[in-house]
Amino acid sequence: MNSFYNSYLLIITFFIIALSLPILSLSIGKWLRPPSKEGGRGVSYESGIEPFHDSRIQFSPQYYLFALLFVIFDIEVIFLFPWAVAYGKLGMFALIEMLIFTFMLCFGLIYAWKKKVLEWM
Amino acid sequence: MNGEVIFFVLFSLGAIIGAVFVLVFRKAVYALLSAVLTFVSMSGLYILLTAEFVAGVQLLIYSGAITILMLFAIMLTKQKTGTTRKRMIRFQWPVIIPIVLLMIIIFYGIHKVTPPRKPVSYGKNNTEQIGELIFTQYMIPFEMISVLLLAALIGAIILAKKENT
Repeated sequence: MNSFYNSYLLIITFFIIALSLPILSLSIGKWLRPPSKEGGRGVSYESGIEPFHDSRIQFSPQYYLFALLFVIFDIEVIFLFPWAVAYGKLGMFALIEMLIFTFMLCFGLIYAWKKKVLEWM
Repeated sequence: MNGEVIFFVLFSLGAIIGAVFVLVFRKAVYALLSAVLTFVSMSGLYILLTAEFVAGVQLLIYSGAITILMLFAIMLTKQKTGTTRKRMIRFQWPVIIPIVLLMIIIFYGIHKVTPPRKPVSYGKNNTEQIGELIFTQYMIPFEMISVLLLAALIGAIILAKKENT
């Protein structure tokens, strides 16, 4: 049991280092740089476009369909992993099950394709 | 007090704090980000239970995919800031009845569970065991999942397409 948890020490160390990198570099930068007196630090760089309007606008529902397609095939991949790992023990029947599963989702993809969801307009 | 207890406290605190801040934040995106904190802490809890595969799935699906889906859902909707806090509070008090009922039901459900006598062997072949179980014992629910996903996909396409044309 302990060896299992100890293998996660590496991840914790990695997490701590990853967290301290931006904190350290930003605070060292704050400590080194001279304090800025005039405003205009938030102005866009080198004659970029000045921001206008609100950023919280209503987006096209097409984005949502792309996200949904992504989630659905993400879930499919999640089910592929245990199948692939246990493939040696499962054999033919599980292969057919997986084919049915994949076929169902492929049908959804073809439907989306036919409905021109994948085309941007 | 060993490391397991410390990390259990950390992760469960993270999960609870994230869940509370989902309710507290008035902006939808902030609420979503604190929900991500809950998801990540829950995957930490799964690792403490030596359920590595479930922890990975929790990270990939919940804090990856579901969050993106909800983010798009937030972007789709118009941000209405009209509902004031006072108006919400007036409808809040009757809600306590279903909350208490739900608490009683959950408490009863947890109370009934008897943990297995001997300690379960920790998941060295966690993914393999899950795979074997899914494709033998839980085969029908697995196939139902594909039908459910298909229904979700087709439903979303029909809804979104009707709005466009």
